[in-house]
Amino acid sequence: MIETKRPPQNIRREIAGLPVDGAELALHLWRPRGPVKGAVFYFHGLQSHAGWLWEVGPQFADNDIAFYVLDRRGSGISGGDRQDLPDADTVLRDYITALEHVRAAIGDEVPLSLFGHCLGGSFMAALMHHPDFTTRYDAAIFCSAWLGKLHATLDDDQRHALATESGTELWDAGLRSEDFTDELRHRHFIDNDDLAARALTRRSRGVLLALESLYMGSERPLPPVPAAYVSGVGDPIVDLDDARATFRRMTGSHGALIQFATDKHYLFYTDVRARLVDWASTFTLLQGLNRDA
Amino acid sequence: MDIPHWQKHWQARRDPFAAECRQARDALLTDLKQPALAQRRVLEDVIDMSAGSVHWREKGYSAVADDPDLFRSLLPVMRYDDFVPEIQRETRTKGGTLTCSPVLRWLKTSGTTGVPKLVPYTLHWLLTYRIPAMKAMWGTYLEYHPELLAHPYATLDTQTVREDVFDFVHGIGHQAISNRHPQINSQDWNPPWYESPWFGPEVPSGHEGRMYHRIRHLIGKDLHYISSINPSTLISLRELLAQHGDRLVRDVRDGTLEGRPYTEPDAEGARRLEKVLLNRDFSLKDVWPSLTLFTCWLSASAGLYAAKLEAVLPTVARLPFMSCGTEGVTTIPVDDSLHSQPLAVGQAFFEFVPAEVPLGDLVAAGEQVETLLFDEVEPGRDYHLIMTQGNGLYRLWTGDVYHVDRIVDGTPWVHFVHRDGIFHSFTGEKITESQVTGAIQRGLAAHGLGTGLFMCGPRWAEPPYYIVVAEVPEPSAPLDARLSEAVDAALHEINIEYASKRDSGRLGALEVVTVPHDAIAAYVESRRQQGNATQYKYKPFQRDVDFVAPLTRR
Repeated sequence: MIETKRPPQNIRREIAGLPVDGAELALHLWRPRGPVKGAVFYFHGLQSHAGWLWEVGPQFADNDIAFYVLDRRGSGISGGDRQDLPDADTVLRDYITALEHVRAAIGDEVPLSLFGHCLGGSFMAALMHHPDFTTRYDAAIFCSAWLGKLHATLDDDQRHALATESGTELWDAGLRSEDFTDELRHRHFIDNDDLAARALTRRSRGVLLALESLYMGSERPLPPVPAAYVSGVGDPIVDLDDARATFRRMTGSHGALIQFATDKHYLFYTDVRARLVDWASTFTLLQGLNRDA
Repeated sequence: MDIPHWQKHWQARRDPFAAECRQARDALLTDLKQPALAQRRVLEDVIDMSAGSVHWREKGYSAVADDPDLFRSLLPVMRYDDFVPEIQRETRTKGGTLTCSPVLRWLKTSGTTGVPKLVPYTLHWLLTYRIPAMKAMWGTYLEYHPELLAHPYATLDTQTVREDVFDFVHGIGHQAISNRHPQINSQDWNPPWYESPWFGPEVPSGHEGRMYHRIRHLIGKDLHYISSINPSTLISLRELLAQHGDRLVRDVRDGTLEGRPYTEPDAEGARRLEKVLLNRDFSLKDVWPSLTLFTCWLSASAGLYAAKLEAVLPTVARLPFMSCGTEGVTTIPVDDSLHSQPLAVGQAFFEFVPAEVPLGDLVAAGEQVETLLFDEVEPGRDYHLIMTQGNGLYRLWTGDVYHVDRIVDGTPWVHFVHRDGIFHSFTGEKITESQVTGAIQRGLAAHGLGTGLFMCGPRWAEPPYYIVVAEVPEPSAPLDARLSEAVDAALHEINIEYASKRDSGRLGALEVVTVPHDAIAAYVESRRQQGNATQYKYKPFQRDVDFVAPLTRR
């Protein structure tokens, strides 16, 4: 559990290079210098990457949590084609490899949470339903993620057309920093982040659909671990009602709905950041309790 | 009456702060008695923090983790500019590239080309080095002058400020090291006066406005101590008192601050102050008879302020500020020695190269540089300083030249002599020859003029300023005025410290005086023909302004 009587601690911030399928992927880590009591593996969204989490990582680490972020292939400082997703299998294999690495690093005793933000939540849900993903995790947090968006917004014909899309021209995601945060500093950062991906090839959208299909039509039961859907009270990008409905269908009685007092999309760039990190830390650490002891 | 929040903070922090400072000073004194151990510890820490970094892995430096003795042979001596590509990567990753600690801020200081530097301020550096160094220095001040914590109005600290930050690099604040705002966590710099009304971000950020607030809050109080880095700040404090005396007297009499209600009216205090200010040569001791201590840099060019400080702060004890830069701490005062301090062996891994070695050329040529360690330097000699700090900047050639005064318990006691490549520095602006040349070129070009021969020198006045004599086809007084303005503005843009000192009135405007073609050549020739001047050759940058009168008849 969190040591509540100590001053802020020194922490480490490391970047490991994971060679996977011809690319070196950057696995970022913020961790306490002392024992790791919990771990969070973060799935970033379309445009962001680990470099967005400079305030979040240190706070998790100060809470004794090892906070891992994989720059997805083609994102952040990882290798791979920019603005173009490989096939769904490659995407998921990258995550499987990274999570195996994380579990090996933290050991079996340390509780591990998965944390998916926005589109990262969709990658995470797909991974959770994939038969080859066998790494044990102890909790799942979806944050401002429009789970099943393409299934909700496209009809059968459109989805069929998208699934066979092979075009490489770019599709602009239409992301606007003012929907993410109203803090000028963070908006300036988003608008000027030269590592951010704001567009995807059209065929990449077909990959996103394939990933969604893995969990939207899955009969595979998830491990009985606690899950939470976290968002602001409103979200300018995500249809929260639709996303929560998908979440509840997926997690059943294990799921909880949590709201923080903001109406912006990127909670970590709002006033609720510290509370969200503390909540997620506690949610993670509690899974380490041995109730049978 | 309710005790204001800032005074509650002062009371709550007073004893813990004193204890932390004492502890840090004790740790420093222990290091000074076993410098080899301290240097080993620092090196091992640096290796521990960087061996896993992206840069060290890519360069193959991680092998040093298995054999620390490889450190000097495997890693090259670096200039700041050599780190720029890695620093650019680090601005995006915010840690992990140069060292395995999160970057919390980018420290801003002048670069050689006019682009401000980005010195990484990491959590590890803050906790392990920078804050302990500050505390150790204050531990010494407290040891000699405990009265600085006598009451909430006892200390005026001008060496650090708290200013809102508006400049960000990929989301992270880019600010001067002296700006301790916002507080990063409870381990960050937190002196008892941190919440004082003359110290917080609500104080005007301009030099003059901030200084006025400081004075207004402390006038009439038993102020014991004024802390500053540059002596010019102390001179400026006295000048601003003189300049704004009437306003200050009015504010004291009416109980206002800049005309707004602030405290009880004090007619007697106003009369007293008015009487002090009537004397044109009043000192700060006249304003605050309770003053017992001031601190600032006292060596190198700062030493030129000695007579002025004596006039402004007569009979007031003085202690030196640490030798440091944005890039790191080199010495920390441990006693009341004014002109020499022990090498801070627990702050960085230090290497030295004899000053006569053209280190800049060797480093530029990428040649292997033989360095000496702290226990290989000799008293009486000058050395280039190379330091490896816990923020990821390893084997950094600082450009600073230090003189070794003596060795005590194995630790060199040194003082800063000058900055290699620096033309002059009245008050920390550290003007380089290339910066002045660039400013002159820009100023002349703006008026359609090419750059011919010129000479530049530092003129001591109140405030001091730089003077340039330049050859042009048609000299004239109006051209002098236009060029003065243009070159001053260009230097203002090129060197941010120059800008800061100009804006705060601690430096006067640079002056350009135009002379006809061949005037400087003739002057040089005339000097060559005088007595023992066979070695005299044209040097654009002069240590004095002796050239001005013969060239301009001024």
